[in-house]
Amino acid sequence: MPVDHRRIRGPDESFSPRLFLPSGSAKCAAAEDRRSGDGARGNMDVRAIFARCGLVSQAKGSAYIEAGNTKVICSVYGPRETERRDETEMKRGKLLADVRLAPFSCRKRGQWIQGTEEKDLSQFLLESLRPGVLLQKYPRSQIEVCVMVLENDGAFLAHAVTCASLALADAGIEMYDVVMGCAARRSGDAVLLDPTFAEEHDEHPSPSGKESRLTLALMPAMNQVSGLQAEGEMDAESLVEAARACMEGCYKLYPVVQQTLLKSVRKKAPPPES
Amino acid sequence: MATVQVSEAEKVYILHGVRDDLRVDGRGCEDYRHMDIETDVVSNTDGSAKVSLGYSDVLVGVKAEVGKPRPALPDQGYLEFFVDCSANATPEFEGRGGEELGLELSNTLYKVFSNKQSVDLHSLCISPGEHCWVLYVDVLLLQCDGNLFDAISIAIKAALFNTRIPKVHLSEDEEGGKEIELSDDPYDCVRLNVENVPCIVTLCKIGHRHVVDATLQEKACSVASLLIATTHRGTVTCVRKFGGGSLDPESIFEMIETGKRVGKALHTPLMELLKEEESLGKKRQKVGFLG
Repeated sequence: MPVDHRRIRGPDESFSPRLFLPSGSAKCAAAEDRRSGDGARGNMDVRAIFARCGLVSQAKGSAYIEAGNTKVICSVYGPRETERRDETEMKRGKLLADVRLAPFSCRKRGQWIQGTEEKDLSQFLLESLRPGVLLQKYPRSQIEVCVMVLENDGAFLAHAVTCASLALADAGIEMYDVVMGCAARRSGDAVLLDPTFAEEHDEHPSPSGKESRLTLALMPAMNQVSGLQAEGEMDAESLVEAARACMEGCYKLYPVVQQTLLKSVRKKAPPPES
Repeated sequence: MATVQVSEAEKVYILHGVRDDLRVDGRGCEDYRHMDIETDVVSNTDGSAKVSLGYSDVLVGVKAEVGKPRPALPDQGYLEFFVDCSANATPEFEGRGGEELGLELSNTLYKVFSNKQSVDLHSLCISPGEHCWVLYVDVLLLQCDGNLFDAISIAIKAALFNTRIPKVHLSEDEEGGKEIELSDDPYDCVRLNVENVPCIVTLCKIGHRHVVDATLQEKACSVASLLIATTHRGTVTCVRKFGGGSLDPESIFEMIETGKRVGKALHTPLMELLKEEESLGKKRQKVGFLG
């Protein structure tokens, strides 16, 4: 039988031992004890982020973001000549986005091969970034955005959006604005902004039984929402409330991202000494 | 996606029409096109439905198979969605051309159904941790004329309404081995409760307004659309933005309101229609694919 030696071959079906834990013994972060579990963070607080630009030397632009234990790295290649010549749309550049989750990034081991879920994430990233990039300035070319999620401790897609736009800006791609991402989880009446993995996958049913997750991408300078994705059960009112909370979260992180970009520009081209 | 080329003059015409709440085919901004629904169209499935919305044609077949429950959810069955874009619809879908659209559609369907309310997954469990019903929902696009999401969701609701799962019971022998026994009577079956199955409403932003059920021409004039899945009670189960443009927050909130209102209004006549069709029984005149 031909065996692929590059990949670890486990049994056809294997399960994480966590599944066999007696139910209830798993540590659950309920909405009430957020303050005790996660420093002094309130429900509407986002995690402090650490962001740096220009760490991948081979890429035109790159960025790294850390929020709590969520770690995302992104590199941007291009603009370069587009590969496919049969495209009718040659007046504008083409943006390509690729999101990958490292196999060890989640609790459950993932696959190296990109699955349907990752393709869906890539599409969300692409649609969130595209309104922010001046693609008409790059005719006949393509810009590739590669995101790698190193560790998933919740809200990784939102941070991937922020990280990707940082990398695009670092690559010198012309943009209208930095696209910021923010996620929220709603369980019952409580909105948890920028949830951790434990909060995202909290299995304790809330009294009303309604749970939902929301990811939003915003361009703060223009107040335009470029990406929105929500799933679960929610009322229209609570959905609007969660979306507003996410937008606030984006505004909170905006100065941090601006500082990071300023720092990287200063490093690349130090101001003339006078 | 299947697209059409629209000239600048046509765009202006459509934009101005939408501004005055009069669309190219005479509809208002919140009106659907004429819709035909027929269930039980494919005899080899456990439930099927065909929906045509304008010139968009969708066929959905549901097949129930016995499978193993997911290890994380041992006492639940599950649904699998697959959307096939047939090359009949447009030549662009030939070969692997329809794959991307099919993946986008099926991924969205998973999201729409990823809650505890839509379908009672516990009722699909046969024996916890060992056997459960897996419902394979296969969607086939026969014609594309815009607004595929809405047509697909209506067809899925109709097909699930039509789905009959054979009754089984578990017998245990002396050694503790379990065996599944299928009922002898083919009419002895379980029905799904589809009351809470959501319908998708896609709203296209055209100019400063948004329209329901956009045709391909109208879609070409819009830069962004918002998909909203609602149940008959108005609970939203999925929201997603599609398209290359961005939306301002206020218009998103407006669109959610509209989507909820239109979605709620869509459910009641749909359920009535399905029940009426079923009550006709064998007397019903089958239309099939030539209608």
